[in-house]
Amino acid sequence: MKLEIERATKLYGRTRALDGLNLKIDSTRVLALIGPSGGGKSTFLRLLGGLEIADSGKIEVNGHQLENDPTALQAYRRRNGFLFQQFNLFPHLDARSNITLPLEKVHGHDAAKARAKADHVLDRFGLLEHASKKPSQLSGGQQQRVGIARAIAASPEILFLDEPTSALDPEMTAEVLELIQELADAGQDIILSTHEMGFARAVANQVAFVAAGKIAECAPPAILFSNPSSPICERFLSRVMRY
Amino acid sequence: MTRRQHIANTLAAILVIAGTAWLCGMIFGELGKQSNWAKAWDYRESLWRGWLHTLGIAFAALVGSMVFGLLFLFGQRSPLPVVRCCCRAFLEFVRDTPLLVHLLFGYFVIFAPLLSRPLAEAGFEDKIVIGIVLLALFEGAYLGEILRGGVESIPRTQWDSARAVGFTPFQIYRYVIFPQALRRVLPAIAGLFVSLIKDSSLLNVIGVSEYFYNTKNFISRSYAGLEGYIPLALGYLVLTLPVAWLSHWLEKRFRHET
Repeated sequence: MKLEIERATKLYGRTRALDGLNLKIDSTRVLALIGPSGGGKSTFLRLLGGLEIADSGKIEVNGHQLENDPTALQAYRRRNGFLFQQFNLFPHLDARSNITLPLEKVHGHDAAKARAKADHVLDRFGLLEHASKKPSQLSGGQQQRVGIARAIAASPEILFLDEPTSALDPEMTAEVLELIQELADAGQDIILSTHEMGFARAVANQVAFVAAGKIAECAPPAILFSNPSSPICERFLSRVMRY
Repeated sequence: MTRRQHIANTLAAILVIAGTAWLCGMIFGELGKQSNWAKAWDYRESLWRGWLHTLGIAFAALVGSMVFGLLFLFGQRSPLPVVRCCCRAFLEFVRDTPLLVHLLFGYFVIFAPLLSRPLAEAGFEDKIVIGIVLLALFEGAYLGEILRGGVESIPRTQWDSARAVGFTPFQIYRYVIFPQALRRVLPAIAGLFVSLIKDSSLLNVIGVSEYFYNTKNFISRSYAGLEGYIPLALGYLVLTLPVAWLSHWLEKRFRHET
């Protein structure tokens, strides 16, 4: 994927969530956003995913400029997948219906085709036995995996993952990270924000350090983790890597 | 329950039954002598017609209140501040004044001068039509507030997720928000519909010949007592109890589902 972001700014009330953020990446497969909480990772991801629009600046993803045009943004969201920290699934529908509903209503599949697709992706993720369970009957890790299955079912161009494991215990975190790794290996374009440094290092082609509403630096993980060039990133890494 | 509670429970039951029996005995002893159920039978046609009117009015006002309720819900969530403010002001006015006042004011001051003649010419009974509209507006205001509460209780991530999978705003309400919100507010809505049925009796003040109006006429013409009031209460119970039961049943069903 190709990203071109120039001086992106986003305000929530008087808080500057993004403060003139710049980023230019010509081609990469998996981009990980790391950095302190409240630094702007989630906001940046929401802008990239077309869920919100910048107050100023330019955001271009794969040559598409994201502007304040609800119809175009909706079409953009249909082409991509997005997963939040938790509560992604619609609680009144079982796992399978969570996947088939968007396939039928958004992508125009007929019921049989949607079901076949949903079962295929559930099977691929080892979730087929849970297909008729409601989200409340699934563990947190299973819920996130069904969430990813839903996001992936319509073959998205880019999969956006906003701290997909932050609400999970270590064991469930591992099961979700394995799944993401598998998707990355299969060639899926992914942009994710995460606090799992080891995972970012292992899976990402590029890692961007986001703090105070800006990208402090962006480099391949081997370089960024072993030899950070910005003092703020170095300080952050030395603190989170200590334990 | 412990042994003591069993004994206390039995005693309470005996007390309640004895008390009710004593009260009924007093009332029937006093009034029963004068009661003449043949009188009620003589008026059966008028009472039956009134009951059917009440049924029809309640049903029409129920449908109307759903339309108004949805309008008020979306009005209050409108991106346009003027629409939002007007909705708020109107709802506040409706909810803070008695229905009796709306009916009198709405009928005699607003609607009757404007609509009575055209409605009569079109072959409608103007009082019934206007009464239904006024009742639907009043209950719709409450329904709008109930629905707003339900919709606003759905967490933000559900909206985000629905947007992320690419739903249109209409689809978000239709497939994600309403199914969850309605489940939460179902008991409140059922309560409102029961109120609506009972409130329809107030339409007698603008002269709609519904069940209460016709029963009142029967009582004042024939000097009836118990034989007028008992069918009156039963007539409304027949309408309200099914709604209450239906809501309990739906509530239980949805609780098992989620």
